[in-house]
Amino acid sequence: MNIIETKNLTKYYGKSLGIIDVNLSVAEGEIFGFIGPNGAGKSTTIRTLLGLIYPTGGSATIFGKDIIKFGPEIKEEVGYLPSEVFYYDDMKVIDLLKYSGSFYKRDRSVIDKRIKELAGIMDLDLTKKIDDLSYGNKKKVGIVQGLLHQPKLIILDEPTGGLDPLMQQKFFDLLKEENEKGVTILFSSHILSEVQKLCDRVAIIKEGRIIKVQRISDLIEKNYKRFKLQTAAKAEPENISIDGVSDLKIEGTTVSFLYKGPINEITKKLASLDLTDLWAEEPDLEEIFLHYYQKED
Amino acid sequence: MNVFLRELRAHRTALIFWCIGMFAMVGSGMGKYAAYESSGTSVNTLVRQLPRAVQIILGMGSFDLSKAIGFYGVLYLYLIVMATIHAAVLGAEIISKEERDRTSEFLFAKPVPRTKVITAKLLAALANMIVLNLVTLVSSIWVVDYYNKGGRPVTGDIVALMAGMFFLQLIFLSIGMSIAAIRKKPKSAASIATAVLLATFILSVAIDINNKLEFLKYLTPFKYFDAQDILPDGRLDLGYVALSGGIIIVLLAVTYRFYAKRDLSI
Repeated sequence: MNIIETKNLTKYYGKSLGIIDVNLSVAEGEIFGFIGPNGAGKSTTIRTLLGLIYPTGGSATIFGKDIIKFGPEIKEEVGYLPSEVFYYDDMKVIDLLKYSGSFYKRDRSVIDKRIKELAGIMDLDLTKKIDDLSYGNKKKVGIVQGLLHQPKLIILDEPTGGLDPLMQQKFFDLLKEENEKGVTILFSSHILSEVQKLCDRVAIIKEGRIIKVQRISDLIEKNYKRFKLQTAAKAEPENISIDGVSDLKIEGTTVSFLYKGPINEITKKLASLDLTDLWAEEPDLEEIFLHYYQKED
Repeated sequence: MNVFLRELRAHRTALIFWCIGMFAMVGSGMGKYAAYESSGTSVNTLVRQLPRAVQIILGMGSFDLSKAIGFYGVLYLYLIVMATIHAAVLGAEIISKEERDRTSEFLFAKPVPRTKVITAKLLAALANMIVLNLVTLVSSIWVVDYYNKGGRPVTGDIVALMAGMFFLQLIFLSIGMSIAAIRKKPKSAASIATAVLLATFILSVAIDINNKLEFLKYLTPFKYFDAQDILPDGRLDLGYVALSGGIIIVLLAVTYRFYAKRDLSI
């Protein structure tokens, strides 16, 4: 059974576009990346899944249950960290977390213990007032708040903003630990290196539509290579351009491009050139991603 | 239960100030009665010399101002204005503040249906209104009784007036809540609710000044529980009680329906 399943999920805000025909399926135990630039529809999709806004078309299920009919029941097992965290300013951190915990049908003592544990890991002072916290610390409250009831599905919307690299690492370790226990994670981000570090599969969204769903490993290893060449004489584009070459840049005798396709085809082509040096590297996701967007434009 | 307790705590300080204000209003208002009375002039003669419109705007109507309860009848108008402002703003804000403070994304990602949140907030608002009403009731009975030397007992009259005030509080609470439930822009809910309050209040004054507008009296809750109608026999008009009940039920139904169905503004 898929943990999240959406079928042509569509959301219009009045006439302006939110998301169109989003089809996603996230399997149990998966860390699923959801990536796209700001305004592409990531938050809209997530908020629709959580029942904060209602779809104008299509449907979705979480744990096999319809998101609209069984919203509260589903959310019993969902932990959510929004991209921007806002809490009741007059509350202390510990009171907010206990308030958050009070919504779940769980043993209070278990939740209290988990709050202390998570606050310890994230280095969060529980006695402070929400109002006095820095942005990064509010984010930590958000993380603890999202995990304190030990949910089966964690939904993260741009979760790392405001966290320093050390905290980010701790947070990712925490997520991996949860994932090893069988927890499914939906991780939305516009920062590709995070997704690359953490996720098994990734959906790429642009202007409200899912362009592609792929394994991270496929994206990185199997399909794409980043080539850099040093040629003896000034290279001409037609000497390199074959099917599968993209992002071709030629600056004097330095050439670089992305290649997707049979590796023999490109080496044959390159053999005809007078090379002084050659690098073939794994491109990072950032490059592939950029390439997707450029191609679509 | 958690949302209910949370709301009680969030409104505690404000409620204390409202109660102090209400008590001060009753105390200082009736203090003026003492001043008139001791000056020896007949308040009634003095007031009757004012133009009728001024008398009406000041809420003096046809009360017997030489009696403590008559004077209190005038003061009642100011008390219900205070109580309804409290109710309208409370109703609008208790719903809209989650969106205004952007905590709705936190709250509604929890396993709690929106209708349940509304119920908790409604109950918390009711508790606040009941406290304010009881504080007004007790301080009114105490203060009016203090000045009511030898007059007939006033407790029954004041209880009837406060019952009327409670209906008005309920009406304006549900006006505030329903506006906040319908409006997607959370910041404007309280100001629209107070604008409705002001408009209906002005209408009630206009009806008093101009008898030809009498047929509009059903449009303004301020005409439902007028002290001039209640005081003679200490009874509420049951027709208006039923009308109030109807309005409250419809507005609360609107509140539940719209808030559960609409997109939250985040």
